[in-house]
Amino acid sequence: MSPASPGAAQPSRVRRWLSEPLLHFLVIGGALFAVYGALNPTPAVSSQANQIRLTRDDLRQMAMVWAASWQRPPTPEEMHSLIENKVRDEILYRESLALGLDQNDTIVRRRLAQKMEFLAEDTSAIRDPAAEELKAWFEENRARFALPGRMSFRHVYFSPDQRGPGARDAAVEALRKLVGKPADSPVVAGIGDRFMFQDYYADRVPEQVASVFGAAFAQSLSGLAPGGWLGPVESGLGWHLVFVDSITPGRVPLFDEIEPEVKAEWFNAQRAEAKRKVFAAMRARYEVVLPPPDDQDAPLSGAASTLKSR
Amino acid sequence: MRSRPRTIAVAVLGVGLLSLTSAAAFAQQKNPERNVYYGETHLHTSWSFDAYAFGDTRTGPESFYQYATGKPTLHPGGYQVTITKPLDWGAVTEHAEYMGMVQEAMDPESPLRKSSPLLARVYEEGVRADGLLAFKVLSLAIAKGLPIKEFSDPAVVAPVWKRIVDIADRYNKPGKFTTFAAYEWTSTPDSKNLHRNIFFRDSKKVPQVPFTPLDSPDPRDLWSWMDKQRAAGNELLAISHNANLSNGMMFPTEVDHTGRPIDRAWAEARLRNEPLTEMKQVKGQSETTPGLSPNDEFANYEVFVWHLLGKKGPPPSEYGSYVRQAYKDGITMEQARGFNPYKFGVVGGSDSHVSVVPYRQKNFFGVHGTVDDTIEKRIDGATVLGLNSLWVTPAGLSAVWAEENTRDALFDAMKRKETYSTSGVRIPLRFFGGWGMDAGMLKQKEWVKAAYATGVPMGADLPKPASKAPSFVVWATKDPDSANLDRLQIVKGWSVSGQSFEKVYDVAWAGARKPDRVTGKVPAIGSTVDIGKGTYSNSIGAVELKTVWTDPDFDPGLDAFYYVRALEIPTPRWSTMQAVKLGRVPPSGSGFSAIIQERAWSSPIWYTPGAQARKAVKAGVTIADLGRQGAALLSDQQLKDLLVGKTVKVRNTVTGQHFEILHGTTGRRLITAIDGKATDLRAAGEMMHGGDLDYEIRDGRLRTDLNGSEFDVAVYKLGDRYLAARSNEFGYANYEVEPLKE
Repeated sequence: MSPASPGAAQPSRVRRWLSEPLLHFLVIGGALFAVYGALNPTPAVSSQANQIRLTRDDLRQMAMVWAASWQRPPTPEEMHSLIENKVRDEILYRESLALGLDQNDTIVRRRLAQKMEFLAEDTSAIRDPAAEELKAWFEENRARFALPGRMSFRHVYFSPDQRGPGARDAAVEALRKLVGKPADSPVVAGIGDRFMFQDYYADRVPEQVASVFGAAFAQSLSGLAPGGWLGPVESGLGWHLVFVDSITPGRVPLFDEIEPEVKAEWFNAQRAEAKRKVFAAMRARYEVVLPPPDDQDAPLSGAASTLKSR
Repeated sequence: MRSRPRTIAVAVLGVGLLSLTSAAAFAQQKNPERNVYYGETHLHTSWSFDAYAFGDTRTGPESFYQYATGKPTLHPGGYQVTITKPLDWGAVTEHAEYMGMVQEAMDPESPLRKSSPLLARVYEEGVRADGLLAFKVLSLAIAKGLPIKEFSDPAVVAPVWKRIVDIADRYNKPGKFTTFAAYEWTSTPDSKNLHRNIFFRDSKKVPQVPFTPLDSPDPRDLWSWMDKQRAAGNELLAISHNANLSNGMMFPTEVDHTGRPIDRAWAEARLRNEPLTEMKQVKGQSETTPGLSPNDEFANYEVFVWHLLGKKGPPPSEYGSYVRQAYKDGITMEQARGFNPYKFGVVGGSDSHVSVVPYRQKNFFGVHGTVDDTIEKRIDGATVLGLNSLWVTPAGLSAVWAEENTRDALFDAMKRKETYSTSGVRIPLRFFGGWGMDAGMLKQKEWVKAAYATGVPMGADLPKPASKAPSFVVWATKDPDSANLDRLQIVKGWSVSGQSFEKVYDVAWAGARKPDRVTGKVPAIGSTVDIGKGTYSNSIGAVELKTVWTDPDFDPGLDAFYYVRALEIPTPRWSTMQAVKLGRVPPSGSGFSAIIQERAWSSPIWYTPGAQARKAVKAGVTIADLGRQGAALLSDQQLKDLLVGKTVKVRNTVTGQHFEILHGTTGRRLITAIDGKATDLRAAGEMMHGGDLDYEIRDGRLRTDLNGSEFDVAVYKLGDRYLAARSNEFGYANYEVEPLKE
């Protein structure tokens, strides 16, 4: 510091401080340090963070686990190596976290996601529904308990084994003779080929029809109107002319008939809902950013709905 | 993680019957002509300790029952799968060893955590750290006879077993979907598969805890336990499986795996308790191999060569590991010794370890947790314990002919073996045998009724002969959602003087093909498979095949069995379709090919001659006979003098075939001629030795290998004749040896 000359104006103390090079250095250096630090977050370097602290309980636990498999307590050397192993594990774990090795590791991600799902699934909070509550829920969700429709039908079979590719044409031809005829017309007996199973099926649900004729036939059958000979309809076994006698539409049973099932389903629904809510709450905290839609890139066409669902 | 056990409990309570509404509406009257019911006999969920290790950490028995009844169900790979067609019945068969213990270890409220807190924590931590390693350590410990007693303490196991039985009960809907109380007894001595699935007729009297290999790994002890259960009114049966991975120990003929002789008591105990075996599952088929059945051109199908737990070693022995050979050995033992332990029927199974099951090539997904849960992993051949995902095949399916879909009716059908196995498809298959069955029977609409009235169904014994030869009604229809049929075959086996033989007859086939004049075989049907696209078409093949077939080669003095094999036309294997999806070349390899023929196998019908009929057969020469006549067993030196460096003529006195065999001085031997000509070895049938292989003279025996199994030949000198006996021919000396030239 230069001695102040008596005549000169005394710079204010603040000004003096501001022109102080040391201060400049400190301020600029500090700012740089702060910026650098912000750009390059380093693992906390406090002495606390680099500590691996094992409590007496931890050590006791390690010794007991060891004893459980070896049927005797560990010797001091063994205890030492247990501790060293534990320390080694912990260090490698922390260092791997520091290096970000947990990022983008499918197994780690799946494991963590699984743990989260388990937590979300915790249904201990779900209590038994009150009778009224259950009944009301049943009314709201009647569709879930619908029984499939049933169908009674008879058919005339045209066998590919007997007729080869001509089976369909034969069926078309035969239909001309059957059109307008009743289900039990004597004409039926002389037409078509012997079917290896039944000619008449009473009161069958689609699943049962599919097990005999194949899935596609069950599908086709549901579109046929009752009361006349129709076709030809293809099954997994050949071609058929079909007369639907009657259709019993699906129905929803009365609550009393199926109360235990309703209750079981209610529990399921509560569980699913709880899980959905937990996830929805978590998802609400996130914004999903996707590239704009691109018509050229067909495999990515699902992206748009993800955006919308945000 | 703490919420998990509770979640399971709620799922168990909650899921219940929801998909099985209105069972009464499905109940139908008993059908005396019986219906076919398709089901599952072999399945694991995460409650099996190996399934957990493979990455299936979340499923339980209820997952399977939901899947089986048609509900979309979560695969451990994280996606939903749906069964192509719901099953009629099924059971979960968790490994009895440490059943549910992973879950118990993780449940703070479980009896295990209370009784053995530390052990439970160690197991939990072990499983979390490396599930597969934990599994290996535990199974090796079991194999070495060092089980962890705390995991099999009845107090710990009983609640888990009860949970499994309760879940089965909850899903059992008579008339619609039937379940059973069941488990797997997983005896694995020296990494050889002696596994059995145990089924209980009903759940009311099941034991408090299952009998496990920790109690004893010896099937004899299992049978004693089963006998006791039965005596106490708890009817049950065992289904052996994966004979193909047993290294010859599933169907032994001389001694069992402990070295104890196979005697009448052993045979009867087995027969009483094991009416069925599993013909096919995800780890291959157990019918036969090209090695055992060189004349069967359809034998090279899903042959699975692997040792349990990935243990290294030479390919397992085929003798004793396959069903057709066991049937042959069984009737031979019946003739030579008077008992047949191998008179069992067949079912299929999955052995899936993910609670859901792929039965179809088109709907194929992985069955080992997260090991094979994506197309890429499967087509790349991801392995676990040395098991390559590409070898895995869709599950076999069990088919049971029963009056109605209830526990009683299905169990009775399994006991009487009126069952068959398919490779996963649903081929309705009927098979009846009898005497003088009406050749025109199939023209009647009501032929099934007539067949039951005049014959016996699959799984049964033919009654006493009432005509010259038995006839058989065979009928099959294609699966309406799968490929057309190629042909129906009857596989016949018979035995003479300790030797057994097999012949595959084509009995009904699609199209106008003509059987070969010499072999009688119907030529291949051709293929519509487009490998590049992974597709096929039903433009070839038949919808329905049926015939009444009379055995043209019947001898009433010889033991015989007959079973049906139905074959679909060629279709692409799952690996072909999935490789196409990835734009890769469809893989093929040892044991599997890009194109397969789906199939069904019936349980056999057996014929056993009466004492009178047996007498009419010319008796073979036995070793005992030779002893009585003063024949002398050749020593090593005498064997060497007779054989080494020389060609001998060996005559099989049963078949009349003769072979010229050169035993080289270097330990190799060569068959130089058959019946005077150098013919194709595959046409040779039984001979004293197999093909061109090593031999060794040791301990008074000529030792040689047939398909990986060691057989010994003893040579006796009687006067100036040399007679030889092979060790798998039940005491008969069927070969005459004649020195030919230096």
